[in-house]
Amino acid sequence: MQPAVTEDTTLVEETLGGNQLSFQLLVERYQSRVFGLVRHYTRNGVEMEDIVQDTFIKVYRKLDTFQHQSSFSTWLYRIAINTALDFLKRAGRNPVRAVEDPEIVGTPGAGGSARSIAAPDSNLEREEVARITHEVLDEIPEIFRTVLVLREFEEMAYQDMADLLGISIGTVESRLFRARARFKDALVRLHPEYAVGISTR
Amino acid sequence: MKFTCETVQPLLCSYLDGELSEAQARPTRAHLLDCLACRETVQEGKVIRRWLAGAREDVEVPRGFSARVARRAFAGDPGLLVPASPPIGLRVAGPPSLLPFILKLSALAAAVLFFFSLLIQRTSLPAGDDLQASDRSWMFEPAAVEVPAPALEEDVLGTAEEVPGAEESVEDPESTDR
Repeated sequence: MQPAVTEDTTLVEETLGGNQLSFQLLVERYQSRVFGLVRHYTRNGVEMEDIVQDTFIKVYRKLDTFQHQSSFSTWLYRIAINTALDFLKRAGRNPVRAVEDPEIVGTPGAGGSARSIAAPDSNLEREEVARITHEVLDEIPEIFRTVLVLREFEEMAYQDMADLLGISIGTVESRLFRARARFKDALVRLHPEYAVGISTR
Repeated sequence: MKFTCETVQPLLCSYLDGELSEAQARPTRAHLLDCLACRETVQEGKVIRRWLAGAREDVEVPRGFSARVARRAFAGDPGLLVPASPPIGLRVAGPPSLLPFILKLSALAAAVLFFFSLLIQRTSLPAGDDLQASDRSWMFEPAAVEVPAPALEEDVLGTAEEVPGAEESVEDPESTDR
């Protein structure tokens, strides 16, 4: 990881020195990952491109404020998430926000609870698995969806997520725990065929 | 040290993600060997991860995206979503924006108009045929008026006396016609 960090630092410094090609290289290094991240906030290709483009333009404008306290990728992702959320807000599509209700933690939806969920059927097409997963992700509150996406798709460590989101590692753990519980509940609600051992109270 | 379910439950998420230190992971593993409920919780977490892993898709980046973005950034493009000023301390290549020039020109025009309005205000006082607003010297310089000597009457007794009302013949500067 050290060489990548060094390369990022070099490209940042060269960009600050006015080197457009260095900034272009910086964009190339991260464009796929940022597109992948933004895809979880909108599936519209045009919107995705607008958000990612605005992300990198913001990065360029704020590059002189980057203090290397976190990695460049962490800083970049923070800007990308904020840009995506701003976009959704402006488009009137406010992402679902969670009410931190302690009573909900670990408690399935009223009226029934599934003991567990089944893994995706091996016969299920990859596209169908993706479609179902994204459908479920869209149902859960944004603060939970974000930690799931960062952990499962971006494979970020807890410390990096804490730095990116400006929260403690304990909060990251707590949100991930709740996020997985919400994912399970939403999957069962939207696709009860994947519930295992449903019991009623 | 033996962990109980109450101790292990909050750690299972971190255990699943490989975030526990060895000091915590070892007793957690030991507990899982003996506790079916906690094992099922971990298993459920793994199933969720399989769903999410199955949704990983390669994203196709539009052709020429990086070059296009770099060009726009260096040209001072504010982006589509949030207008912003160019970064401080960075040299921005490309043609300069006309907006600052237009703003300065507008400010200059406003200042010139303001100056002229003041000037017009000063020169727009009513002017008669004889009275001119720009010449106010009459306010400060008394008119050269001849004051007639008081008329004297010979007193029967032979002394001169001022004629009553003679003072009234002294011209009042304010009433003098020029």
